[in-house]
Amino acid sequence: MPSSKVELVAFGLLSLLAVGSAVATISYRSAIRCAVGLFFHILSLAGLYMTLSAHFLAAVQLIVYVGAVVVLFVFVIMLLGPAADAPDDGAGRTPRWLGSGAAVCVGALSAMVVLSYRPERVLRPPSYGTLREVGGYLFGPAVLPFELASVLLTAAVVGAFAVARGHHDKVRLATGLGPDANNPLPSDQAPAAEDGEGPSGGRS
Amino acid sequence: MTVTLGHYLALASVLFTTGAVGFLVRRNALVALMSIELMLNAVNLTLVAANRWQPSMVPAGAEPATPEALAAAAGYASQSAIAHHGQVFAFFVIAVAAAEAAVGLAIVLAFYRLRKTIRTDAADTLKG
Repeated sequence: MPSSKVELVAFGLLSLLAVGSAVATISYRSAIRCAVGLFFHILSLAGLYMTLSAHFLAAVQLIVYVGAVVVLFVFVIMLLGPAADAPDDGAGRTPRWLGSGAAVCVGALSAMVVLSYRPERVLRPPSYGTLREVGGYLFGPAVLPFELASVLLTAAVVGAFAVARGHHDKVRLATGLGPDANNPLPSDQAPAAEDGEGPSGGRS
Repeated sequence: MTVTLGHYLALASVLFTTGAVGFLVRRNALVALMSIELMLNAVNLTLVAANRWQPSMVPAGAEPATPEALAAAAGYASQSAIAHHGQVFAFFVIAVAAAEAAVGLAIVLAFYRLRKTIRTDAADTLKG
């Protein structure tokens, strides 16, 4: 167990990194820089989980977020190319400072409230946060939501595939939007051009 | 000065506010999705921190119970009386966040294929 001074220094550095990278995530104009900000934010949060002696959760955070989510973001940014850096100009119906000011007020208020909350120091049992304990809980009373999470992830994979695959002929015909709006084909004649991605992309 | 639960909760509220501001202000759909990830991560931090300061099944001021009774109250046969509700709930939040990122990025790709932009205010097809 680290001493309180080490804990304080670690918390200070990691929280500074977390806040700074979160601000960088939402403030850069280029989307790939925002993804790098998110990467450092996730790294600092994994460090904060370690100061809370949630080591397994820190590892899961690194594997799932850095290994899957940030990589997925970078893939999509590469796929979109220059369109990923969509400009932020133009006025909306509501002024932008109104929403952000309200959010900052709520955040400052909640930070003030919770900073005044000082619970008594709870001594951790030595087995707190160990893989044995967390795994015992995960496969004990929480086994049903654990299995349901796999169903959720399967549904998300199928749904993401169905959405990103892109049979949008009906949408194009209905809305008049999209690249083929001027020359719409019936949906039963279109799939060769949709699936093949080119003349040589035959089916195997 | 020691780090207490209040520090972690204040940090989490600052991070959540940052994510909320990013979601409200940015018009880039990818950055909006990243802001959602920031907010989910802030909630995860509150869950783990609260779990750290309440590692037993009973409130701090209650009368001490035997480990067997605590394990029975937790619903599983364990030797210890430690609860990991917050950490395990954070696992599920991470799982939901991964699913949300996959589906959200697929929607961004489909939207780009339709409108050739990922500005969120270009998604006005349903506007009356």
